[in-house]
Amino acid sequence: MADKTERFTLWYEETDGKDFPLVGKKNANLGEMIKAGIRTSPGFSITIAANEKFIVDTGIKEKIRKYLEELGQVTYETTKKASGFAMSLIESATIPAEIADDILADYKKLCELSRTDNIPVAVRSSGAISMPGQMETYLNIRGNKDLIEYVKKCWASAYNVEAIMYRANKGVGFLFNIGVGIPKMVNSRVSGVIFTLNTLNGDPSKISLDVSYGLGEAVVSGLVTPDSFLVDKVTLDIVKTTIGSKETQCVYREGGSDIVQAEVPKDQQEKLSVSLDEVQELCRLGKVIEEYYGKHYDIEFGIDADLTFPGSVIILQVRPESIWNKKEVTARTEKKSDPMERILSQLLTGVRMK
Amino acid sequence: MAKKTFMDPHDVPTIPGTEGWEKLYPYQYQFSNDDPERAAFESSQIWYYDGLHYPEPHFPFDIMWDEAWSLALSQYNTRHIIIPPAMGIDHRIVNGYVYITPVGIADPEVIQKRIPLFMERAGYYYKNWDKLYENWEKKVKALIGELEAINFTDLPEIEDISVVTEGKGVGSGYLLLKKYDDLINMGLLNWQYHFEFLNLGYAAYVTFINTCNQIFPGVPIATLTKMVSGIDVVMYRPDAELIRLAKLALDTGIDQLVLKPLKSAELMNELAKIPAGKEWLAELEKSRYPWFHISTGTGWYHHHISWNDNLDIPFDSIKMHINSIKEGKEVGRPTEKLIKERDKIVEEYRKLIKTDDDREAFEQVLGVARTVFPYVEDHLFYIEHWFHSIFWGKIRQIGQILQNAGFIENANEDIWFMRRDEIKQALWDYSTAWATGVKARGPSYWPKQITWRKGVYEKFKEWSPPPALGVPPDVVTEPFTIVLWGVTTDVLSEWLKGDDAGGDQNILKGSPGSSGVVEGRARVLKNVEELADLKEGEILVATTTSPSWAPAFVKIAGAITDVGGPMCHAAIVCREYGLPTVVGTGKGTRLIKTGDLIRLDGDTGIVEILERVNK
Repeated sequence: MADKTERFTLWYEETDGKDFPLVGKKNANLGEMIKAGIRTSPGFSITIAANEKFIVDTGIKEKIRKYLEELGQVTYETTKKASGFAMSLIESATIPAEIADDILADYKKLCELSRTDNIPVAVRSSGAISMPGQMETYLNIRGNKDLIEYVKKCWASAYNVEAIMYRANKGVGFLFNIGVGIPKMVNSRVSGVIFTLNTLNGDPSKISLDVSYGLGEAVVSGLVTPDSFLVDKVTLDIVKTTIGSKETQCVYREGGSDIVQAEVPKDQQEKLSVSLDEVQELCRLGKVIEEYYGKHYDIEFGIDADLTFPGSVIILQVRPESIWNKKEVTARTEKKSDPMERILSQLLTGVRMK
Repeated sequence: MAKKTFMDPHDVPTIPGTEGWEKLYPYQYQFSNDDPERAAFESSQIWYYDGLHYPEPHFPFDIMWDEAWSLALSQYNTRHIIIPPAMGIDHRIVNGYVYITPVGIADPEVIQKRIPLFMERAGYYYKNWDKLYENWEKKVKALIGELEAINFTDLPEIEDISVVTEGKGVGSGYLLLKKYDDLINMGLLNWQYHFEFLNLGYAAYVTFINTCNQIFPGVPIATLTKMVSGIDVVMYRPDAELIRLAKLALDTGIDQLVLKPLKSAELMNELAKIPAGKEWLAELEKSRYPWFHISTGTGWYHHHISWNDNLDIPFDSIKMHINSIKEGKEVGRPTEKLIKERDKIVEEYRKLIKTDDDREAFEQVLGVARTVFPYVEDHLFYIEHWFHSIFWGKIRQIGQILQNAGFIENANEDIWFMRRDEIKQALWDYSTAWATGVKARGPSYWPKQITWRKGVYEKFKEWSPPPALGVPPDVVTEPFTIVLWGVTTDVLSEWLKGDDAGGDQNILKGSPGSSGVVEGRARVLKNVEELADLKEGEILVATTTSPSWAPAFVKIAGAITDVGGPMCHAAIVCREYGLPTVVGTGKGTRLIKTGDLIRLDGDTGIVEILERVNK
């Protein structure tokens, strides 16, 4: 296999944070998370080298260089023109076979992993410098033909007016190759939220977990009462289980990428939405994330219906927990000079156990 | 709303046909209205059935141990260590079943006065624990040595000439009476020793549990026990010996012979014929003393015989182990894994503590809990197993004397229907008649009595003792009551619910014993001899279990017991084997039938009967 720097595609797990010059930051970050043991949706990056080869082989690079010379001074008007020129060139070009073959071979593997033909993926731009929200991400792309089309659209989006202006302000040149990420769209059978502490009392020895059917919006927005678990962080034993009513779920509209509500069948409502193994895997991942970042975390996850356990348990988004992390921590026990004082005080108060 | 209560202890009806049963037991064990003050006390207390120790009605002789622990546990709380807010545990008997109640101290001034005494006395024990415990082991082993040495035989026709030539001046009749007293006193002393450390052990353990609950609210007791559990625990040694013998049989190639479906006596004859077999038998003898002095039950009943009493039992287990090893299964306790797991758990919890004060508290209670835990785990073997097993044998010797003298018909069965003071009387009757050269009254008195008592006992057996009598307290506080018997306020309210439910109750609530959820077919076992019926993957349902059930734990998918708290044997063992367990359901063996499909949740303590086997 070719050297990593020369390849057109790289699986997320083949890269880490240092590889952002190869695949862009967003992709490299995913690689870094996976390396840390935080499982994300499976997928691969189309490298910046692939973008470069594409614009070289198709002659686009040369055409743009010439066009920019002709345009002369950079103004808003000329930028708009350059943007239109570059984008239509890219979108109408044909991706060289060696690149397209690599992309489609990896896509095929993703389909096999998901046990589904034409598995929906996202096509996400990933620049080697941070350009928040400047370029496009496309959801629910399926099939070889569309995938190739949208990869080009994604490459082209590096030349939309905002992106060009943003780069110009940062002193970055006009020509700009980006990485593209192709993660599987998470087909959440269930989804929910993990807090790496007891959200009720801040006890750091527990993990709180809320889960319900369908996409995460139902739990995050408080649309349903989810199944909720309190889990011992050390042993991963479940300390408390509460079955939620979970009457509705959020799902993608058939064939579309917008979200609609659907009723959960009665028998499903009454059952726990996750298995014991899934609860433990989620909590294990929660622990990994907390250890990686060094504080309590608030984590969104989905369990993918197309993938097999434990690969199906996918982390969607992580952020620091916002309440208890900021609170001052006080002792939970009284100060006693020695164990005898403690035993005495215990005997005097009596014992209340659950 | 009026507080829900259990039946008043004075109102429990006598079972028809057992009238006069009271004389089978000590008079102070009766609930009585004679004294209004005492009766009012009895009515105001919560009395719970001690099914942990007594799954069956009491035999008039065997109640000796109940009296022994009543005296010993209570005296250590009340008069020795001076537990500030707690007196002893009071005992009664109803229709053959023992009920107990913790007695507290209400007056705050009295409690205050007891504090400095407690600090001095308990402090001394905790500080010098290891040295005192070493001394304890010596005392108990010396006592067992004395017990081994005492033996009982029929009185001689004529005394040996040495009584004359050595000028002894005492006779065999007197010596028989004296030795009987000595034997009983040894038994009582054994129980004095039993509680020398146990009250303090439980106090430290409960402090550990509650302090950890403050730091980590809701931390499972199972996890806490893992943090302090000893690894070299004496109670696991008997099973370890069986595994050693199983492996030895495999290594020396005599496994096929050992596996032959023969009784132990025949098998030992066969083995003695070949050199490898002889060597194996020599190793067996090494294991037997003391490790086969392990009871097949809790050790509390005379019929809880030991492995040494019936070698078929350990042989069956050795065979089970040989088969398991051949199937490539892990046998015994995964010691390495347990040590690693224990250290990892403690380390991870330590890291979760966020303040220095909490860290200090945790280290304090962990340290003291680890100091006391070996005793809490190990004392059972010395007292209830080793000592008791030998002791029962000595009483059987006396049974043989009484059978030979025509007082009773069956040495093994009848003597247990006599109270220990009645045996003394019978020995007087026997000795004086022997001395005088006349016929004793015993042969015309005891057989009739025993026949009647056996009838009463059978009726007791058919009766289901209610889990509790009297008035539940707002909160249960006595450490033994909670840790050992698993009686808490919540458990009592579950028991009250059960009182209302009809026969078709499908959900039982107990205490979480060991974490996990499992579904499977139930196997209800009354005693260890039925272990052979147990099939792979079944859920064991038993009144209680003891260490001699060890071979069962590699086969089962989970366990449910009627009685016991988080520290009972089944809970401890199942945690080690990672088997989901619910303890203290109160009535699992009555409501669940072998073959029922059940689900048990070792985290919540709930057992559900999903499908009943066709009746």
